[in-house]
Amino acid sequence: MTHDLIVIGGGVNGLVTAAYLAKAGLKVLVLEARDTPGGLALTEEMAPGFRCDVAGHDAGWLLPDIATDLGLAAHGLELVLPDATVWSPQPDGRSLTLWSDPAKTAEEIGRFSPEDARAWPAFTAQLARFARVLEAVYAVTPPHVPNARGGDLMTLLGLGRRLRGLGRREMVEFLRVPPMSVAEWLDDWFAADALKGAVGAGGITRILQGPRSAGTAFVLLHHHVGRPAGAIRAAHLVKGGVGNLGQALVAAAKGFGAEIRTTAPVREIVVRDGRVLGVALETGEHLAVSQVVSSADPRRTMCGLVDASHLDPEFVRAVRNIRYRGATATVQLALSELPRFTARAPDGALRGAITIAPSLDYLERAYDDAKYGAVSRYPYLEARIPTLLDPRLAPPGKHIMTVQVQYAPYHLKASWDAPTRERLADLVTATLTEYAPNLKKHVLYRRVVTPKDLESRFGLTEGHTYHGELTLDQIFFMRPVAGWARYQTPIAGLYLCGAGTHPGGGLAGAAGRNAARELVKERRR
Amino acid sequence: MATEYDAIIIGGGHNGLITAAYLARAGRRVLVLERRYCVGGAAVSEEIYPGFKFSVFSYVVSLLRPEIIRDLDLPRHGLEILPLESTVTPMENGDYLAVWGDPDKTRREIYRHSPRDAEAMIEFGRLMHHMAQAVKPIIGMVPPDPTSLSPKDLLGLLRLGKHFRGLGPEKFHALYKLMTMSSADYLDEWYETDVLKATKSASGIIGTFLGPRSPGTAYVLLHHYMGEIDGSFRAWGFAKGGTGAISEAIASAARGFGAEIRTDAAVSHVLMKRGRAVGVVLENGDELRARTVVSSLDPRQTFLKLVGAEQLPDDFTTDIRRYKFRGSSGKVNLALAELPNFTCMPGVGPHLRGAISISPSIEYLERAYDDAKYGEFSRHPYMDVIIPSMIDPHMAPPGKHVMSIFVQYAPYNVTGGWTDDKREAFGDAVVETLTQYAPNLKHAILHRQVITPSDIERITGLTEGNIFQGELALHQLFFLRPAPHWAKYRTPIRRLYQCGSGTHPGGGIMGASGRLAAMQILADGR
Repeated sequence: MTHDLIVIGGGVNGLVTAAYLAKAGLKVLVLEARDTPGGLALTEEMAPGFRCDVAGHDAGWLLPDIATDLGLAAHGLELVLPDATVWSPQPDGRSLTLWSDPAKTAEEIGRFSPEDARAWPAFTAQLARFARVLEAVYAVTPPHVPNARGGDLMTLLGLGRRLRGLGRREMVEFLRVPPMSVAEWLDDWFAADALKGAVGAGGITRILQGPRSAGTAFVLLHHHVGRPAGAIRAAHLVKGGVGNLGQALVAAAKGFGAEIRTTAPVREIVVRDGRVLGVALETGEHLAVSQVVSSADPRRTMCGLVDASHLDPEFVRAVRNIRYRGATATVQLALSELPRFTARAPDGALRGAITIAPSLDYLERAYDDAKYGAVSRYPYLEARIPTLLDPRLAPPGKHIMTVQVQYAPYHLKASWDAPTRERLADLVTATLTEYAPNLKKHVLYRRVVTPKDLESRFGLTEGHTYHGELTLDQIFFMRPVAGWARYQTPIAGLYLCGAGTHPGGGLAGAAGRNAARELVKERRR
Repeated sequence: MATEYDAIIIGGGHNGLITAAYLARAGRRVLVLERRYCVGGAAVSEEIYPGFKFSVFSYVVSLLRPEIIRDLDLPRHGLEILPLESTVTPMENGDYLAVWGDPDKTRREIYRHSPRDAEAMIEFGRLMHHMAQAVKPIIGMVPPDPTSLSPKDLLGLLRLGKHFRGLGPEKFHALYKLMTMSSADYLDEWYETDVLKATKSASGIIGTFLGPRSPGTAYVLLHHYMGEIDGSFRAWGFAKGGTGAISEAIASAARGFGAEIRTDAAVSHVLMKRGRAVGVVLENGDELRARTVVSSLDPRQTFLKLVGAEQLPDDFTTDIRRYKFRGSSGKVNLALAELPNFTCMPGVGPHLRGAISISPSIEYLERAYDDAKYGEFSRHPYMDVIIPSMIDPHMAPPGKHVMSIFVQYAPYNVTGGWTDDKREAFGDAVVETLTQYAPNLKHAILHRQVITPSDIERITGLTEGNIFQGELALHQLFFLRPAPHWAKYRTPIRRLYQCGSGTHPGGGIMGASGRLAAMQILADGR
């Protein structure tokens, strides 16, 4: 054995795990199926001279200690947190901007509803308090529930103390809110449709549920972990595209001594007597190793790379029951000029997420279509123009726009054939053109990335970039499946470190770091 | 000076009567005040048309706690529960799905639709049985306040922790999934037959403003599995004489223990002195004094109407104001000249002595929900139909029948409000939809009573017509029902207690709230 450990998959979590383990002195080999590592942290040429993020167009949240521990800034990572978090044009020609600064945002909201403006600071403060508690939850390895013992019990008690630290009233609120629907929660606070739509969109991110489905309040909370207090729906943007995050992680991992092999798709994790023996590549090559960490999603790992005969049927059943249901597509547009929106955009507002979500009902109706297996006729869109941040992504004077479209469900009643994809691109262009009339005429190139594409190109089960929906039954001690939330698997020597494990997707590297910590701890035993 | 009671119970619904009976049994001088001419609240039988008796609102029973039946000796007071054994779901293709009282017969029937599901059903039933057992102690406990550091609460939390630990990981995780998942997703893990999943999901959406694909509905599924008749889980029953007979039996038991029950006695407000409840004032101006006042009304009625926000802490009032009702169901009661003839199962048969469920597919239920989300009643609603006169012939004149149709969704906040025209249109939609499955129905109708959530509110007083005194959603259960820190039947007003379905565990003709409230009052030495 030439390596102590093999990491399958060179995406963000895989690279973070590899970097931490290499830093701890282990000889690590990363096997990446594609010709470039980075996974979804990928910026590629979509048309001559236009470079564009493939799926996610922000880093979600990169924990500050990961960036520091791995020295990512030194490897060229430049994160930007725009002042504007959301810019939401309205059908009536007005627009709503959410700023990182709650006072500035309240002023803006006042144009829609003075009462909502008054409630805004308290709402953002509550969200920030809850997010801080969640941050503590996300940093731990999930304890065994309900039979926590020893250190596990201490972890639970520690979190309990953290929760109590909120004070009696806020503690109850923290327990009450996550199972609610984001619509109910926002209805408790606000009246203006524009505001509830713009904020509520954060409750349905990458989930096949509508804002009136219970548990979507949790999704909104999840996407505020680590964010600066007061900023709603803030996201780290990566200068030059998210691909630079992938490249910085590659450089960091290599810098610590990890070896990365690309174009090395794994066929099978070889197991004997319940123990890992090694990894077999598609080429037929066999790599002997006693520890394997897979950053592929749990179903792909446990039902694709491991032979089912090594697993308890109940475990396999649980893994098969994980809900993925990719719901989001990306449409990339190469533009010959900036879109000119009818609604006035304050200076810098377009650096936020350009959000088409004028009301909760609009979002709910978008979900209705998806519920019956169709693309939303009036979709929720979240667009970004990365060339505003880094003009070098397009030829001079030209621009890139990436648009996340929801709902574009993986499970379509029809199929994701060429005409369906074209219709999706048309729909997105037409929807945006309603708000920016010049847009349609200035589209030079466009490209569609559906959940099916994500599955076939990146191996993501059902095209779900978070490796499984973030619903209350699929988080914390239930992620990826009940009883196996501690990055271990029933196969000795096989671990998981992807977004399919606690704390899930949208948090760059959080799962990978937790998994690495568990592995290091275990090796010391 | 008027006579002083130990306890005055506001509202003579089943929970109020149960609290009264338990308190009287313990030797307290108890007075029950009921606004209407009869006791029962939403559990009443009324002769709406000459010769035709209806369980006007609530129409089946399964959740009534067996210990209450025992403690109050209800059979001696006339309670007789007749089994409602089958559920038949007509399908859109003319076929049907039936679940019979006989498990073997059911298995054969399910096998016809899917051999895999027939097999899964055995294991599913076993799991649900375990889950119901796991939940029973929780239903029977006064919810501890997780934010409190008092020894009693800490002990309660410890007991709860021990209970969960005792379940072991497998059962605990299964219970956790049941609490957090949607009924459609939950059933997808077990079954493949759509109509079977739909019929089971239907019980998960009853009384909620959620569709079967929304998380949180799987739990309500369990709520309807917790029924226990003669010790056997899951069976539904029909009270001889209609649901009102249950209330009558409890009232009779309460009287037997010495409780006094006054009807036509609407309470205007709770009488307060130095921040304590000292009695009530009736709408006719009479003042009645008591050492303890107990309200069985829903939280909004109790606190915002009978007490008044000005008497209460602001945080508490906020919590009560945002407690969600959102009534979503209606009822259509029909007097029939003849039995309905279902196309999928023609003629008179045992299926007419059970429930007929109009829930042909998950998509059907979701579409019914979609209408309601945007402020309309479902054009093609979910319906749970029973024909009480087939079980108890005294409900209708000889040869004639009564039909009880539970309908969802009928949103309380329907666009334009519930006008008379809207009510009739709703009734028409119900009859039209049902006639698609039983073509002779429309012409067999002699009388039709249509009840909207707005009618439920007007007649029974239930806020927004919510049949459970507040939605059974995860964020409104256990220590959060009806408000944090006040889930133990006590209220911020000293000597004022609550005992309705708006308290833990709430919902259905279960009576657990009424019983636990009585226990708490007695434990407090009141």
